[in-house]
Amino acid sequence: MTAAYPAMSIAAAVIVVIVELAWLRTGIFRMRSYWVAMAVVFAFQIPIDGWMTKLSDPIVIYNPDALSGLRFPLDIPTEEFAYAFAMVTLAIMCWERAGPAAESAPSESAPPEPASPEPASPEPGVE
Amino acid sequence: MDRYQYAILLVGCLVLTLPLELILGARVWRQPRRLLGAVVPVVLIFGTWDAWSISRGHWTFSERLTTGVTLPFDLPVEEVLFFVAIPICGLLTFGAVRNVLGEKR
Repeated sequence: MTAAYPAMSIAAAVIVVIVELAWLRTGIFRMRSYWVAMAVVFAFQIPIDGWMTKLSDPIVIYNPDALSGLRFPLDIPTEEFAYAFAMVTLAIMCWERAGPAAESAPSESAPPEPASPEPASPEPGVE
Repeated sequence: MDRYQYAILLVGCLVLTLPLELILGARVWRQPRRLLGAVVPVVLIFGTWDAWSISRGHWTFSERLTTGVTLPFDLPVEEVLFFVAIPICGLLTFGAVRNVLGEKR
């Protein structure tokens, strides 16, 4: 039987990519910021996830039958990076999808990016 | 204090990433509704996967390093916190990098 966790983690990563390309189309994969951010996320995953999965005193205890057996770096099950890719990418996709327009908070301290051209007359009620 | 280790780790992640919002201009916490729209799908999808994996015995959690407070389907409350905190850290990283690079999209 195929180990469940690597199979599902890779499947999740693939599905997230497909959902982005075929459905949500937020364009994050063409953004430099996305790839730099993911590199940073993976870098921080190593100490944090490493702490959670360290075999000497783990927070998360895996059934070996569910794992690929690869544990690198530290004691991290390697498939966990596919899992993290899927989870963080999904969050960023949904964030982009929710878009700045979804937040119609009244006047914030900093003005948002210029919206559609405003009429020349000053808006009433703006502080 | 050991039983709070997992929870403290996650809260620590949120505290350590706060400067991304406050100094590097990530603008994630300042858009709570949009943040909710990004986090809820992760909690639902990954929470379901987690509950299923726990039920199948793919993984368990240290009784000593967790509070023992569980939600339906034997989900430790820390796991739900994980599905909230880690995406927020990712969004803050993305928002900060984007602001620093000046990338609008």
